[in-house]
Amino acid sequence: MIQSILDAISLGGLYSLAALGLGLVFGVMRLVNFAHGELITIAAYTLVLTTQFPLLLSLVLTIFVTALVALIMEFAIYRRLRGVSPAIMLVASFGLSTVLQRVYEFTFGALPKSAVVAPSLSGVVKFAGLSITISSVLTIILAVVILLAMGYLVERTSLGLQLRAASADFRTARLLGVRSNRLITAAFVLSGVLASFVAFILVIQNPVVNPYYGLNITILALVGIVIGGISSLRGAALGGFIVGVILSGLNTLLGNGRVYSYTWLFITVLIILLVRPGGLLSKGSELERV
Amino acid sequence: MALLEISNLVAGYGKVQVISDVSFSLEPGKSIGIVGPNGVGKSTLLLTIAGAISPNAGSIKLDGTSIFGMRPEDIVRRGLSLVPEGRQIFSGLSVKENLSLGLTGRRDKKGSHEAVERMHELFPVLSTHEHHQAGMLSGGQQQQLAIARALISEPKVLLLDEPSLGLAPTVIADVFERLREIIHMGTAVVIVEQRANLVTSFADETIVIRDGKVQSRLTPADATNTDSLNRSYFGAGD
Repeated sequence: MIQSILDAISLGGLYSLAALGLGLVFGVMRLVNFAHGELITIAAYTLVLTTQFPLLLSLVLTIFVTALVALIMEFAIYRRLRGVSPAIMLVASFGLSTVLQRVYEFTFGALPKSAVVAPSLSGVVKFAGLSITISSVLTIILAVVILLAMGYLVERTSLGLQLRAASADFRTARLLGVRSNRLITAAFVLSGVLASFVAFILVIQNPVVNPYYGLNITILALVGIVIGGISSLRGAALGGFIVGVILSGLNTLLGNGRVYSYTWLFITVLIILLVRPGGLLSKGSELERV
Repeated sequence: MALLEISNLVAGYGKVQVISDVSFSLEPGKSIGIVGPNGVGKSTLLLTIAGAISPNAGSIKLDGTSIFGMRPEDIVRRGLSLVPEGRQIFSGLSVKENLSLGLTGRRDKKGSHEAVERMHELFPVLSTHEHHQAGMLSGGQQQQLAIARALISEPKVLLLDEPSLGLAPTVIADVFERLREIIHMGTAVVIVEQRANLVTSFADETIVIRDGKVQSRLTPADATNTDSLNRSYFGAGD
C-alpha cells in the first residue's frame, strides 16, 4: 500500500515536470511543442551513452546537450514560424518530432540502447518491514526540489515575472519592454533542462532507450496541461501530477486489467474537462471592472 | 524639430489596409487627440507607432530617429510607451508586479526605485493597493495602473488608447486630470478617444480620421462648436 502511494506520487511528480516543460513553451509561444518528447529522448540517449563518466558529469552533459537541442529547435524552426497560426505551429511540431525520431534512429540505430544509469539508485530498501524502491523516493525528492526551484524562479525572479506576463498576454508584455527573443530562448532552455531531469528519472526506472522513448510521457503531459489549465504554469504542474497519480492508481487498482488504464484515464480526463472546460485552475470569464 | 513625426503612414492587417495616409507631428510637452468613428483605424495607428503592427509604408520618427518597423520592446526603450485599449493590465499579477513589468522598458535601470516612488506620488491608490491583485482594482484604478505602468519607463511620448473606456464620468475627469499633470511634467501625449468633445477640449490639437486618412484638424475652440465637431467627425453633408 505504502509503495503504491509512493509510486503514485512519484509518477505524478515525474509527469508534473514533463508538463511544466511543455507549459513553459506554450505560455510564451502558444505552441504545443510535440517535439518536447524528443528532448526527453535525446537526454535519455545522452545519459545512457555517458554511463562511463561520473554521474554528476553525465547529468551536466545531458542538460547541456538537451538545452542545445532545444535551442536549435527554436532557432531553426519555431523562430521562423513565429506569428503563424497555432494550428500551423502544431503541425510543424508534429513534423519536427517525426524528423527527430528518424534522426535518432539514423544516429543511434533502430535497436534500443541500454545501460544501467546510477545502479545504486535502482534498488530496493527495507524500511519498517516495507520494501520501498529507491527510485520512487528519489523521484519524489527530485520532483519536489525542482518544482520548488521552478516555483522560486517563476514567482520571485524578474525572468519569472516576465514569463508569467508573457503567458497571460505576450503582446502587452512586449509593449512594456519584455524582449521576446530572449524570453522565448529562456523558455526553451528551461524546458530542455526539465526534459533532462525527466529523462534522468525515467532511465533509472527503464534504461532501455529507443527513438520513441519520450513520446508516451509527452502525450500524457499534454493531457496534464490541458486538465490543469493550459495557460497557467501552476495548472500545468498540477495537471501533470494528477495524470501521473491517476495512471499509477489505475495500474494498481486494475491489476491484470491494467491494459485498460489508459481508457479509464481518458474517461476521467473527459469528465474533468466536461466539468471544468478551461482546466482545473482556469478562472472563468473575468468581469470588466468599471 | 518635432519629438514624434508621422509622415504618410500606411498600415493594416495582412492585405487589409486600415491606415492609408496619416501624418502628424508632436512637440515635447504637447498633446494631440485622435478621434473618428469606430473602425477607422485609430487603435491600429497607435499599435503601428508602438511597433505591435508592422507598417507598410511612410515614416515614423522619434526624436529625429526612425523607429519605422522596429520591435515594440526596442521602441519602448527609445522612449515611446503605449497604454493599450482596454487597459490590458495583468489581472492575475499584483499591482507591484504590474509596475515592475513597466520597469523592463527603462533605459536607465538605476533610477527604478525612484521611478516607483514617483508613480506612487502621482497615483497614491497604487501605493495603498501595492500587494493586491490588479484584477481586483476598480476600472478607474486599473486605468491609473495602466498609465503608471507605461509612464514608469519615463517615455518622451505616451500613447493612450481610449483611456475613458468603461469609466464613470467622475473617474474620467480624475484620469484626465492626471494626464494634464503628466503633460505638464514634459511628456508628449497622444490620446485616441471616442468622446470627441472631451479630447478636443483637452488636447492642443485633435485630428479626425476617416477612411484611414486625416480628414480635418481641430483646436480646443472647436470642442464647444457641436456643428463643426459633427461635420468633422462624420463628414460634410453626411
